[in-house]
Amino acid sequence: MKPDFRPNRLRRHVLDMAFFGQSVHVPCAFSLVEIVSALYAEHLKYDPKDPAASTRDRLVLSKGHGVMALYAAFRELGWIEQRDIERYFHDDSRLFGLSEADVPGLEVTSGSLGHGLPIATGMALGFKQQNQSQRVYCIVGDGELNEGTMWESILIAAHHKLSNLTIIVDANGFQAMGRIEDILGLEPLADKFKSFGFDAFECDGHDLARLNQGFELLKKSTRPQVIIARTIKGRGVSFMENDNVWHYTRLTKESHAQALAELGT
Amino acid sequence: MRNSLSKFITQAAVEDPKVRVLSGDHGYALFDEVRRARPAQFMNVGVAEQAMVGIAAGMCRTGLKPIVYGLAAFVPIRVLEQIKLDVCRSSLPVIFLGDGAGLVYSTLGASHQCAEDVACLRPLPAISIYAPADAFELDTVFRAARASAGPSYIRLGKSDRPAVHAVRPSTTDSLLIHDVASDTCIISMGSMTAVAKQMATDLKICAASVFQIKPTTPSLKKILSRFRVVLVLEEHSRYGGLFSTITELTADEAIRPRVRSLSLGEHFSERCGSYQHALSEHGIADAQLPGRVKELLGGASS
Repeated sequence: MKPDFRPNRLRRHVLDMAFFGQSVHVPCAFSLVEIVSALYAEHLKYDPKDPAASTRDRLVLSKGHGVMALYAAFRELGWIEQRDIERYFHDDSRLFGLSEADVPGLEVTSGSLGHGLPIATGMALGFKQQNQSQRVYCIVGDGELNEGTMWESILIAAHHKLSNLTIIVDANGFQAMGRIEDILGLEPLADKFKSFGFDAFECDGHDLARLNQGFELLKKSTRPQVIIARTIKGRGVSFMENDNVWHYTRLTKESHAQALAELGT
Repeated sequence: MRNSLSKFITQAAVEDPKVRVLSGDHGYALFDEVRRARPAQFMNVGVAEQAMVGIAAGMCRTGLKPIVYGLAAFVPIRVLEQIKLDVCRSSLPVIFLGDGAGLVYSTLGASHQCAEDVACLRPLPAISIYAPADAFELDTVFRAARASAGPSYIRLGKSDRPAVHAVRPSTTDSLLIHDVASDTCIISMGSMTAVAKQMATDLKICAASVFQIKPTTPSLKKILSRFRVVLVLEEHSRYGGLFSTITELTADEAIRPRVRSLSLGEHFSERCGSYQHALSEHGIADAQLPGRVKELLGGASS
């Protein structure tokens, strides 16, 4: 069956996983669904039959908390099975609640923040030094940009002109305990990246057309690039949107059904 | 040993174009040779040790073979979580060189001294830990690390001690380096092995060198089984280093020796001074050791 990366289809998988596993972290997966959708549908080079093919572009999920959005894409690709969704978090199941490098399709172990981008930077350097054409995409959180290793990597990527590295900031405006602007402000974020030597593209992170435009545009860049995707934490389900309590809330039978109903079919 | 280290690093880069040597802006002259021979395979990442380890992991995932250099106070201490998650979690074949371990930087104080590197790494799955005493042991462990399919840490301490071997040991197995008719053995790692050997000669006891700390080698159990008293000498905290390794092994294997510790105590350097002065604050300066050993042996035989 052909994979269907339409965003709300991915969100349904996320909701099901979260419900069956009684896991949290739904809204921070919802905010990056369109990013994942655009990448798998249009931009990443990969072999749908072999998530480990060495020629694949690398998609590094640095904000490990959004891992269910990737699992949703993997479900569409057949890299995980319906059983994995229904047994999420059950004893002796294989998928953890954060990114683990040994799951085919996930490239790194992350969730402790500030780890994915340095690794992605090393991958981009490795490919470049070996004249290999793979690109490296790295999804980071805006909260994650509090971490010093992120800025170390941004300096290093710019210095070495890693044109094969694209960072996507899932800028949902929240971190674990509140709003970014209240805890540790990042703005003007695009200007910060530009001043470090990146090409930057800023857009509504739920607008597939704009995301696609950004990815296409930046492929021609001779420097490392960033897409600042302005997103909404919990996007797609009204009662989750911009309400940080859902970072920590488990779905009940009722809220699961209500959320599915809002997404439509 | 430092010249040998430079030689082995260069040799690795020359022999294998996939080798990459990474430094976080440390090791000034150490890399002159590799930078001359293979400039494209050396990278000064900048003063960014944590990103350096992630970058090494990423490079390794593209098929390169990184050797990551730092002072032990920074690699592995500052970057412990990166080693755990970015490297050990996937058992990537990255080699870490922790230089200046112990109290080498006696005059620079707590920030550059490192008594806890082995202890911090031992619980991490997958990583092998080595502490060579001289250029011959370094040669052997460097080969072992390069041949390994998983991560390695090589602890490098005070490098101007005399050699303890005349030839390169053929394996990383623990070795008796002074073997006489005695029921007592002084077992040491790295920087303390030269003085341990000298003391064993003077006191007519045996001496053994442990240069692969983890996993422990079969010969270590054999050596421990032979003696009634074992004195462990290390320029490392008694918590989690060689003393711990040996007492854990004797407990696990139910073997008999009385094990005594000559390790670094639980305190930072208190006063500035020479390397020997720094050791003396822990009672293991060269001049103090014969007396300490006699004292422990007196206690052990009673």
